Amino acid sequence: MKITIDHLTKDFGSTIAVNDFSAVIESGELIALLGPSGCGKSTMLNMISGILPSSTGHIYFDEDDVTDVAPEKRGVGLVFQNYALYPHMTVLENIAFPLEIKKVKKAEREAKAIEMAKLVHVDMLLDRKPKQLSGGQQQRVAIARALIKNPRVLLLDEPLSNLDARLRIEMREEIRRIQQETQVTTIFVTHDQEEAMSISDHIVLMKDGFLQQVARPQELYDEPANCFVADFLGNPPINKTHGVIKGGKIVLDGGCEVELEAAKNLPEGKKVTLSMRAEAIVIDEELKNTEGTVVETYVMGKEVLAYVSLGDYKVRAYIPAEKNFGKGQKVTVGLKKRGVFVFDEETGARLA
Amino acid sequence: MSTRTTGKKKGISLSRKIEPYLYLAPFAIGVLVFTLYPIINVVLLSFKEGYNFITKDFTSWGFGNYLYVLKDSYFLQAYKNTFMYVFVVIPISTCLSVVIATLLNQKIKFSSLFQTAYFLPMVTSTIAIGFAWRFMFNYKSGVINYLLSFFGVEAINWLQVPQYNFPALCIYGIWAILPFTIILLLSGLQNIDPMYYTAAKVDGAGPIKSFFRITLPLLAPTIFLVLCVNTISTFKVYNELFPLFQGAGIANNMFTVVYYIYYQFRVKSPARYGYAAAAAVLLFITVFIFTMIQRWVEAKTKN
Repeated sequence: MKITIDHLTKDFGSTIAVNDFSAVIESGELIALLGPSGCGKSTMLNMISGILPSSTGHIYFDEDDVTDVAPEKRGVGLVFQNYALYPHMTVLENIAFPLEIKKVKKAEREAKAIEMAKLVHVDMLLDRKPKQLSGGQQQRVAIARALIKNPRVLLLDEPLSNLDARLRIEMREEIRRIQQETQVTTIFVTHDQEEAMSISDHIVLMKDGFLQQVARPQELYDEPANCFVADFLGNPPINKTHGVIKGGKIVLDGGCEVELEAAKNLPEGKKVTLSMRAEAIVIDEELKNTEGTVVETYVMGKEVLAYVSLGDYKVRAYIPAEKNFGKGQKVTVGLKKRGVFVFDEETGARLA
Repeated sequence: MSTRTTGKKKGISLSRKIEPYLYLAPFAIGVLVFTLYPIINVVLLSFKEGYNFITKDFTSWGFGNYLYVLKDSYFLQAYKNTFMYVFVVIPISTCLSVVIATLLNQKIKFSSLFQTAYFLPMVTSTIAIGFAWRFMFNYKSGVINYLLSFFGVEAINWLQVPQYNFPALCIYGIWAILPFTIILLLSGLQNIDPMYYTAAKVDGAGPIKSFFRITLPLLAPTIFLVLCVNTISTFKVYNELFPLFQGAGIANNMFTVVYYIYYQFRVKSPARYGYAAAAAVLLFITVFIFTMIQRWVEAKTKN
């Protein structure tokens, strides 16, 4: 099912949690709602589920306007951050509960619940109470309960945040598998970029209630729409430097001149932010854009992490382990096309 | 990490062992003197036949007191009244409290005003409130008869006609027990994570369904606690008799077990301590059995 969000706004009195948000989510996709804490992503999810009413704007499921439709009538399956499994019910009863409400006959709803339990691999735990399950198992049960109604959309609120690191990787692959098998349009909220990058078809990146960019994970990484997107994605964080355009070059604070093809067309005196991913920087190779000084090196095994000073800034770069640079050594620095961005320093908009 | 193997350190650990008991002593001594000793004494007293309070003499050990009490028509009436009182007050007050607590737990306007209104009786003396109820029960000018008149019910002489004494006592008893019960249930309700209601709502459960399927099961432990505490306290019904009836009612028809104990102890002359003690032990056994049954039922329903 396609979800269209049209100029949606949510304000809580004076604070605006979601601001004029418009996006289209294609049918059958796994979507990550990504952003730092407090960016409005959970509010967004709650508005799609119907738990929170929106202030202005519309939500469409396919062609239906569901903006004012009650949550139970929207056909959404919701997985809560803490799973919200009913502690007094067994796994089977928990999964079957939405059908119990719909007054489906016991035999029928249990058969369906067992089918769901098999899908999420908890069919051997049907008689257990939630307390007797591990975090990952509880998560699976919660997903089964959300899916049993054949929802038009499955919504997961920070589904992995309560799991330990190993389970997290396992469960995110499970969510991907379950989504692929059921083909249900799925939206999950996360603040973890790696989680979002690894399993989603598209990422919706938010900040301070504003939509930043909707893109496929690789596209978001390679072609960030603005400075925030570039900052938010990537590990180690992108190297961020500030400078001014002078004579077709970028002069960084501290006087380091960077020759950049993309800078040639920018107006003289424009203040810009030059962001470079660590893997886009090469040292002492044919490609040469500027010069710098090696400040520190850390041997990481297959490669060396080097800190190179460019003007007032220290940037991280990965260099092959066989090359070795001493502290204080002057080097040439090359910037690859991919992974180097120029942003407007004031607005954060992408210039090149 | 500690290592204590040397002899010197053993000495320290001995005084260390005594120390906690010293802290416990003030309270433990109080319990011993004012609770345990009297209890044991009552049990012993109930088996002493022909006991004289002044000389502390008694004729023999035996079941004489019990045999007398169990044949005494006042005691049998008291036992029956007490049982009926418990069986009327507990279910009605518990159901009412669950409903009221659930309503108080909603986000309603003036909810703190309602809470205060419901809890006020708890901080007021039973006797004072009892007198207020006495006025309300008044045959000619009482507000209860006035309200009933709107429903076409003839004025009832609650306090002066024996057959209406018991209903009057129950109405007052239910009302008096509500605040405490509501407080406990309300705290139980507030311990239920609102997330469950949101989840049930998204699944399509209405308020009635989520009350029976979510609220009640999750409140069950508190309900059992309330049942247990209230059963014990209603078995001891006694205070309530004085403001309403100045004792056991106009025809001596409102005896309760605790009133019977008081009657043997104070009203009768000379006082029959043995009978009073035997009645007290019988009440204790009854309450004990009831509490055990409740605990057994609770354990059963948990699984």
